[in-house]
Amino acid sequence: MALNAESIPMRWPAGPLDIARGEKTKGFTAETAEVLRNWQDPASLAVVQGTPVSCLVVSWAAGLPADAGQQQALKPLIEKGKQAGLEFVGLIEGEANKPAAVAAAQSAGLSAVAMEGDAPGSAAVPVIPWNKAAQVRSIANSPVLGISDGVWPGLPQAASQAGGPTNLPWVDSNGAVLLIARALAPDKTVWIDFDPPQQAALATEAYMLAVADPASHGARWVISLDDKLRADLTAGKQPAADTWKKAIDTLAFFEQHKQFRTYQPNGLLAVMSNFAGPNWEAGEEAINLLPRIRQPFRVMARSRAGGASFTGLQAIFYVDREPPDAELRKKLIAFASGGGILFVPSKWPNPEGSPAPAEPYLLFSMRAVGKGRLAVCKEDQPDAYDTVADIQNIMSHRNDLLRLYNAPSANFLYETSAQGGQGVIHLLNYSRRPGSDGPLFYVKEPHKSARLVSPEIASPAELQWAPQEAGGAELSLPRLSVYGAIELEK
Amino acid sequence: MRNDLTRRQLLAGAGAGALLARPAWSRAAAAPTGKVAVARCKTYGTELLPAMDKMFDQLGGLGGLVKGKTVAVKINLIGVRWQRLGNALMEDTFWTNPFAIGAAVHLMGKAGARRIRVVEGPWSTTESLQEVMFSMNWKPQDILNAADNVEFENTNYLGQGRKYSRFMVPGGGLIYPGYDLNHSYEDCDVFVSFAKMKEHAATGVTLSMKNVYGATPITIYGQDAGVDEPSIRPHGGRGNVFHFASRLPSKSAPQQKDMSLPKEAGFRLPRIIAELNSARPVHLAIIDGVKTATGCETNYGSPRMPQAAVNPGVLIAGTNAVATDAVAMSVMGFNPMADRGTPPFANADSMLHLAEDLGVGLRDLSRNEVLGVPISEVVFSYPAVREKLLAAQKKA
Repeated sequence: MALNAESIPMRWPAGPLDIARGEKTKGFTAETAEVLRNWQDPASLAVVQGTPVSCLVVSWAAGLPADAGQQQALKPLIEKGKQAGLEFVGLIEGEANKPAAVAAAQSAGLSAVAMEGDAPGSAAVPVIPWNKAAQVRSIANSPVLGISDGVWPGLPQAASQAGGPTNLPWVDSNGAVLLIARALAPDKTVWIDFDPPQQAALATEAYMLAVADPASHGARWVISLDDKLRADLTAGKQPAADTWKKAIDTLAFFEQHKQFRTYQPNGLLAVMSNFAGPNWEAGEEAINLLPRIRQPFRVMARSRAGGASFTGLQAIFYVDREPPDAELRKKLIAFASGGGILFVPSKWPNPEGSPAPAEPYLLFSMRAVGKGRLAVCKEDQPDAYDTVADIQNIMSHRNDLLRLYNAPSANFLYETSAQGGQGVIHLLNYSRRPGSDGPLFYVKEPHKSARLVSPEIASPAELQWAPQEAGGAELSLPRLSVYGAIELEK
Repeated sequence: MRNDLTRRQLLAGAGAGALLARPAWSRAAAAPTGKVAVARCKTYGTELLPAMDKMFDQLGGLGGLVKGKTVAVKINLIGVRWQRLGNALMEDTFWTNPFAIGAAVHLMGKAGARRIRVVEGPWSTTESLQEVMFSMNWKPQDILNAADNVEFENTNYLGQGRKYSRFMVPGGGLIYPGYDLNHSYEDCDVFVSFAKMKEHAATGVTLSMKNVYGATPITIYGQDAGVDEPSIRPHGGRGNVFHFASRLPSKSAPQQKDMSLPKEAGFRLPRIIAELNSARPVHLAIIDGVKTATGCETNYGSPRMPQAAVNPGVLIAGTNAVATDAVAMSVMGFNPMADRGTPPFANADSMLHLAEDLGVGLRDLSRNEVLGVPISEVVFSYPAVREKLLAAQKKA
């Protein structure tokens, strides 16, 4: 079976290579080694039987003496799995001999291999690029693009109550890197790899969020279970089975709502960058912070901006230190002249327009350009939070499309269909427990209907619009532990 | 009686409530009396403007106070704006209601105010007050158009001023000898505190006196304030400096007089509030008790401190902040003469008592002139609401 964009991956630690690597880590126990041996047994595939999981990602080569033994030991598992319709992807890591590992993968009938950096020139199986988010890249012969350094989503463990300047707690989310990857490679399915923290027993909701965080951003988590859960599943313990079922139900929920993956992020602000090299940090951090200040946005890859539509945008934040080429600059200035706001970094040679009045404290000096404005940053390395806060301030809350109340640990992502008739607001609660009040959304534009869907409720619920005196309407949601989506129809 | 107080703490008035004796430095005998008017007002609809107008008439009319003058109206937009009390609007629970602000501004304009500047330091932002109001779906233009020459200023930082204005506490102060504030608090002839009628987690109540606390700029008194000079932008809240003294204000501002003073919010905040009201006296106090919340000042509710959106339907205005707050406390079902240990001052010293000692005003209702609707007719007992909520909680 060939790897395809619809494949649903799961990390399948098993065999001598994972044991050898585990033995080098602190806290690795004989029980864990036993579970790794058990998961090499084809019988262990019962765990994924009847679930949407369709692809197992196995350790294939790491440049260690155990590589050959690993490939040999996994043969029965791979054979049995393929008979059951599963695909296998071999993960090639470290100092592995890539050509040899790829050849072994082809010989073993793997659907693909995944590796960091460059693929061997003549790889006979599809190669999934498996890079850190900041070095994300796509490869023509793979429908999938991998990100190897995802984060376990939730409130940061070290400082769960710590607040930022907004007094909203910081959250760990993969949203920013996934939206960037989608913008850079819109024709690929993005997989993101992250492991659960091993030090504490994880609540069921932690796994639900681990599924929902990437899925709501149009990507797939390479499901990875903690040692204890794997051990307990192997031992047939009921609490483990319940947790696994909830995770699978959440996965199934997103498969039932596949249309969400065809929607694109929407907002009045576009963040434009090549998201590479010295520009990575500023672009990624802006996209990380915008959900925290409740500013809906779109992400635009600079390389695709020439062909992109700016319709419906109020502002564009051009992030990159180097100015755009002449053609793109012309297009951006035309956007501003037409009434938009163009935010640019300090190194913007010969800024267009004429100086315009602006509040002195702002990070940006304002220039009048036609009917719009050019906002040039005053600092070479501005604070990321102050940057997005000032962008929001200059854009003005009077234009807010959406506002979220009573959900301090939540982020939302607003996406719409190509024609704009359908939309969805994904709401992710990173605290993984319901708040004292249900979340409340303000929606500026009128819609025909709003429906709440969630793996946490038995059936979709029609939401009631509460019109507001100053315009717009509010939608009141029930308390949610992890995730809900509001389906909007115009 | 506390027996662990140092001589300095005694001088600073520590345990004043428990001691029930006036410190030697007390200027209570010289404190002015005030006039306070009370009105019924169930909604922010058509009844609001006449109710407010009548109150101001009862106080002697606004003309004598504001005609030809620049007026600063300090409103209350406390806390993180994205945290509401359930579905209730911020203006119906924690914030001064925009219709009430508009009505007061209109009446001040009608009475001949030359310029009216609506001021507040909203949480951790450089956004203008208009922007904060837009984010709550308010129409700030309705306030701007309620009279001639109305403007807004966010006083959490330097704003439109070139430097901060210094206000020294007469008599030297209890915690700080003085405060540096945004220029708006100096560039006015008349200072109005327009508060919401609420309880407060640390100080018991938050009324017109406590509202002045929000005048302190975050750039100097916030958690990320500059060490030597004020920061440019406000970040965070005032807790580190004012509640717990875990950091100092920017060195450019007057510093704490005695670092050995207790680092307890119930000790510090009432003194800071009393000092601020002494250094920057309020000429007109207005309290919005039409719709509000019980429990505490913003969405900090807990099982021990249950909250509810309520509709006491009352407005209070007065010429003295201490007297006005004393009347409001009575309306809320509290004894304004209460001291530490008695609700609402279970865990804090009474800011009213301290302000009285600083000579700001008098909390004894019999020594002030209370006009309009008798207090007994508009009492809305906050303790009774709490008992009801706790009972319901227990039942659940």
